[in-house]
Amino acid sequence: LRSDRKGTRSTDALMRAPLTLSRTLCVLSLLAIASLAAFAVALASGSVAVSTRDIVNALVDSTRSESIAVVRELRLPRALAAFAVGALLATAGALMQVLLRNPLADPYVLGISGGAAVGALTALMLGIGAIVGPAAFAGALLSTLIVFVLARTDAERAAWAPTRLLLTGIVVAAGWGAMIALLLTLAPAAQVKGMVYWLLGDLAGASHSALAFIALGVTLVASLALARDLNAMARGDLDAASLGVSVPRISVVLHLLAALATAAAVTTAGSIGFVGLIVPHAMRLAIGNDQRLLLPASAIAGGTLLIIADTAARTVAAPYELPVGVLTALIGVPAFLWLLNRGR
Amino acid sequence: VIRYAATLLLAALVVEAYAEVRARDDRGQEVALATPARRIVSLAPHATELLFAAGAGEHIVGAVRGSNHPPAARGIPVVGDAHALDLERIVMLDPDLVVTWPYTTPAQVERLKGRGIPVFTTDPATLDGIATNIERLGALAGSSGVAATAAARFRDVIGKATADVSGARVRVFYQIWGTPLFTVGEHHLITQAIHACGGTNVFGTLPIAAPQVSVEAVIAARPDTIVAGADGAAKPPWLDDWQRWREVPAVRDNLLQVVDADRLHRPGPRFAEGMADLCAAIAKARAVRTR
Repeated sequence: LRSDRKGTRSTDALMRAPLTLSRTLCVLSLLAIASLAAFAVALASGSVAVSTRDIVNALVDSTRSESIAVVRELRLPRALAAFAVGALLATAGALMQVLLRNPLADPYVLGISGGAAVGALTALMLGIGAIVGPAAFAGALLSTLIVFVLARTDAERAAWAPTRLLLTGIVVAAGWGAMIALLLTLAPAAQVKGMVYWLLGDLAGASHSALAFIALGVTLVASLALARDLNAMARGDLDAASLGVSVPRISVVLHLLAALATAAAVTTAGSIGFVGLIVPHAMRLAIGNDQRLLLPASAIAGGTLLIIADTAARTVAAPYELPVGVLTALIGVPAFLWLLNRGR
Repeated sequence: VIRYAATLLLAALVVEAYAEVRARDDRGQEVALATPARRIVSLAPHATELLFAAGAGEHIVGAVRGSNHPPAARGIPVVGDAHALDLERIVMLDPDLVVTWPYTTPAQVERLKGRGIPVFTTDPATLDGIATNIERLGALAGSSGVAATAAARFRDVIGKATADVSGARVRVFYQIWGTPLFTVGEHHLITQAIHACGGTNVFGTLPIAAPQVSVEAVIAARPDTIVAGADGAAKPPWLDDWQRWREVPAVRDNLLQVVDADRLHRPGPRFAEGMADLCAAIAKARAVRTR
């Protein structure tokens, strides 16, 4: 807790740098350039040799050749899905950290990914591959609803004690964990492989990212509209209340937005770890804790990190595919530690 | 205590000396029994099949979940699955031989060994190792005659399937699963079978038994045929995902084929028939190539 307070104080210092329009534009355009560069690398890397000309043709032309199809049908959808999922997870992580006032909060801490996994695994066990996505989404929303209802303290005061919410979420997540183990034990051998694969989280099968982009748009727009209130909440409930912010109401909206973002990410690519925990912290260290800039910056940075990690996952040990979660950690841990220690 | 230990040691030596049947398992350990095994517990589905082929099926008193072949195996009491064994039930069955493989909860199998139950580990590293396993289990069950016939038939089927594999090697991508995209690597029996059938596994040099590869890597590998292993040789829905990659020879020449995984993915007696199907699929691709 002490380190948390200290962290808040040092970020306070950073926040004193006024959030001018030019600073906002500067940070966001730097991140946008980085993400475009990551896209370019993702489109250019892979087992099949593709000329630069074909990469451009894949994007602007409608002709089809094998190398154009490799870019357009394999690399591009995967890079788009990686960006959307990374952006959703980083945004959800930032929102959860404000909601729970806890630096260890990540998108999965309240059991959303566990609920999604139980939904998806049940569908896989029954052999109904077509409804895996909807089942995962339904599971995520069900889990959110359970935590939401149980964590409400006194209905009169509707005081949302973050600790109570966190504990409820962690216990519900543990319950989902037990059900996942049970499903894996009871499942017929033929289905287990697909189920374990889903649990690991992977972008190889993520070809449709429209839902993820819609969820990303909704989450970002709605949370940016609340950004001033979130700034007040990040300073503590009393400060927020004295500034006229309705903490219980904002908490409900925050919880729902984070749940939507996480559910969309998990439905698209399984539970990829690490991005949602580290990217918001890294951005906070780099640019301060003003949610108006932090939220969009985290989204772009999370998306960029996941594109880079996924491109590395499918190329560094080619023809093997490595688990993308390993790569997000291998790239993210040193970057984060450098950010944390550069001020010393 | 020392006297007790000495007596046990002496007893063990006596049993060893007077053992009527003995065989070396795939771990290189000598398994010796005073009398042919009459109460056998099988801890792997393929081990159950090997025991039936070796003429010892009627002596199996317990089997692991998944022992579904031959049909007579389905009536055997289940003693656990790959995750966990019911050790109490196994001990109650009072087995005189346990046949296992390296993937059934090794820690629990060690406990059975600790109780002095003889354990035979089957893990054939080569195609002929399957036939050898049948012979050795036959020796332990006192049914060497039946086992020798079954082993000879196994070798005969493989011999016929690989009799004519002349001509250029066919590049084969063997697909175990759709998403994730799993194939077989070096040392895998299926890689050896592909080679014996006159093919080359395009990922046959990867040192992992079941590597996950990318769609792009398969396209870049230019397989002449894509063979999917599916239970009952029913065409899996993911096989047609390849149809849009017309430039890959296997797709262009309509050589997306299916073999019965139930036979080929178990190192048991039916591997020979599964391999005959595999050789036929490879022969078809060879015929298209030389046409």
